[in-house]
Amino acid sequence: MDIVVTSITFLIPIFLLAFILYIIRAIKGPTISDQVLAIDAMTYDVAAFLVVLSIYLRIPILTATAIVLALWIYALDIYIAKYLEKRELGE
Amino acid sequence: MTEVLIYIGLALIGLGAVSDLIAAIGMNRFKNFYLRLHAATIGTIWGAFVPIIGASLVAIGYEPLGYYRWFVAGAGFVAALLVLILAPAGSHALARATHRARIVRVEPCIADHLDETMCIKGGSE
Repeated sequence: MDIVVTSITFLIPIFLLAFILYIIRAIKGPTISDQVLAIDAMTYDVAAFLVVLSIYLRIPILTATAIVLALWIYALDIYIAKYLEKRELGE
Repeated sequence: MTEVLIYIGLALIGLGAVSDLIAAIGMNRFKNFYLRLHAATIGTIWGAFVPIIGASLVAIGYEPLGYYRWFVAGAGFVAALLVLILAPAGSHALARATHRARIVRVEPCIADHLDETMCIKGGSE
């Protein structure tokens, strides 16, 4: 069963490299929308990374945090979209 | 049976990691916000939904997790379903708001029936 551990150790750097590239776009992004889009796409991948980590580190509760993270990122998108369009947050 | 699940799951996680990297590269190389929406969609569906499904399959067959593996697999499938539904809706809302708030003009544009003034014909290239 060590194939799981060895193969995931090769995949973790790929995930981290992708996160770095997303952060570069988030920093460089000319407009607010670019930054929010980069953070949005990156954080869905962080949620996937959490699930992969929960198997790699054998911490089952980590998968539940991935669900919450996915929900929060959707909320971020909707807040930013609502703010950009009508300049109010609907509180 | 568990071996098959683990190999399929690991293949899906590998595919997800590679497509995640491709989406990140695409996010940096595309010229305009609207083009980057394509990279974001690849990043979220192929880069997040597929690895979560793969990780859930691996979790089902992974003995060292003990009986918690059913929890990880179940929560993983729920997370995958959520990502599948929320990611496109969120990025679509963002794109709609960006277009209506005139933040980004449609650079390489042929026709923009929503708002002709936003369309820059024969953009830079």
